[in-house]
Amino acid sequence: MTTIRAEWTKLRSVRSTWWTVVAAVVVMAATAGQLAIYIANDNTNDDPGDDPGVVALGSVLIDSLELVQYAVLALGLLTITSEFTTGTIRTTLQCTPSRGRVLLAKAAVTATVTFGLGLLLGAVGAVVAGPVLGEWGAAPAAGTLRDVVALAGYLALIGVLALGLGAVLRSAVLTLTVLLAVLMIVPLSLREPDITALHRVADVFPGEAGRHFLAGDGEPYPPAVGLLLLAGWAAVTLLAGRAALRRRDA
Amino acid sequence: MITLRTLTKRFGNTAAVDELTVDIGPGRVTGFLGPNGAGKSTTMRLILGLDRPTAGQALIGGRPYHRLRRPLHEIGALLDARAVHPARSGRAHLSAMAASNGISERRVDEVLATVGLDERAAAKPARALSLGMGQRLGIAGALLGDPPVLMFDEPVNGLDPDGVRWIRQLTRSLAAEGRTVLISSHLMSEMQQTADWLVVLGRGRLIADAPTAQVIADSGVAVRVRSPRPEGLAAVADRLTAAGAVVEPAGTDELTVTGTTAERIGELAYELGVPLHELASHEASLERAFMALTADRVEYAARPARTGGASA
Repeated sequence: MTTIRAEWTKLRSVRSTWWTVVAAVVVMAATAGQLAIYIANDNTNDDPGDDPGVVALGSVLIDSLELVQYAVLALGLLTITSEFTTGTIRTTLQCTPSRGRVLLAKAAVTATVTFGLGLLLGAVGAVVAGPVLGEWGAAPAAGTLRDVVALAGYLALIGVLALGLGAVLRSAVLTLTVLLAVLMIVPLSLREPDITALHRVADVFPGEAGRHFLAGDGEPYPPAVGLLLLAGWAAVTLLAGRAALRRRDA
Repeated sequence: MITLRTLTKRFGNTAAVDELTVDIGPGRVTGFLGPNGAGKSTTMRLILGLDRPTAGQALIGGRPYHRLRRPLHEIGALLDARAVHPARSGRAHLSAMAASNGISERRVDEVLATVGLDERAAAKPARALSLGMGQRLGIAGALLGDPPVLMFDEPVNGLDPDGVRWIRQLTRSLAAEGRTVLISSHLMSEMQQTADWLVVLGRGRLIADAPTAQVIADSGVAVRVRSPRPEGLAAVADRLTAAGAVVEPAGTDELTVTGTTAERIGELAYELGVPLHELASHEASLERAFMALTADRVEYAARPARTGGASA
């Protein structure tokens, strides 16, 4: 608990944390607004062939994550990579010699903050996209709330994933590059050829698991499996981060 | 008490710290002396569990660092004053440290006052602090847990004379309170004024572990003694020779003494009632003695440039 308080103090006492939050909110408002405009336009233009019909507000919020998630990833990875670039990792380990405790405390703080941020982003997206969608949006209270909680959970898990990876790789740029590859580029490439085996492999990647969890489409596995897969990825990178912190000199 | 037992750290083929066995005792300022690259900082990092030793162990109060539950209460250290997030305020930096070890916010105020950082300086982002202020912030962090063991790596580096004096007074008073105080430096002259005891390191190996006065005496530092009374000076010379020092007369009113310290000569002259007009350790020779002591142990010795060769 003391370590968690220390980590929370560190996170909130640098301005970049708050700038990241502001960036996430702005990107969310812009993306959700734009997606809503597209939907409204497609429904009202002269071409009836592209009409999406009435769309769930929650799905607009989830689709907006594609871009917004990188701000949240930055939040997660910066909590550890900034310690390496500034040398504060030495102070941190001096205060708390247990590498596992340090990383767990960071994970707890990151998950809590990104979950809360996810709820905020859901609200911001709903406030912006709702009125724009107008009659083309469906916002059943329970369903929308479930989607917002799910996206907050997704952000919390990829935040922890970014933290664990950052502990292994130590560099913010490298970590972000690898995250981009793992979350998007590699699974996309695997889907390119029409080979079922490769598609199955792509489905296991954390970004895809998260997508299936959020979409709740039941294909190729139920949402709960997607959630577990993503949580598994987060746990594995966290363990790898602990191993790296233990093995290497700080 | 810091206990090092055959502590060894290798980076590839080179041993940064080589089977170092030494005890750093309480109640005095121990100077950790050695040329740059001698392994002082690495030893300190090993003590704090930041580097993993290749062999041997480092114990604080009998326990390795990673066994300490609230380490800030056991040992306080200043390794690198710049290891602060540049955007974080000094106060927040200390608050986070305090929180991690269950130390109250009131203690943060106390240590800020102890090191002389006011509310305004503590609220600034660390990047806006001067070198001296940063050093004070680092020392505040070391003092947070009121630990019985303190360790400062090159604390006077880059400080103005006021800062240097402040560090000297602080370390002395900490030692006077019965704490174990270890300060590293590559300057013998600095250590001579601060440390009661010296642990000298060269190429990761222990060269000396003795009282400062003895290390200086053994290292062949020359002390110049001048007196207007030739017969009195001769008496001093006799007593010094009897005590094993090497005395070379220079004229009738001057001696050059090696193998003892200025302090001992001064006391002897007082005892014999001989007035002295000069009593000085040669600063230059002091450094030279230190270099002689560590001559074959310097990692990056300057070598005369080759002449006539093609330039690279």
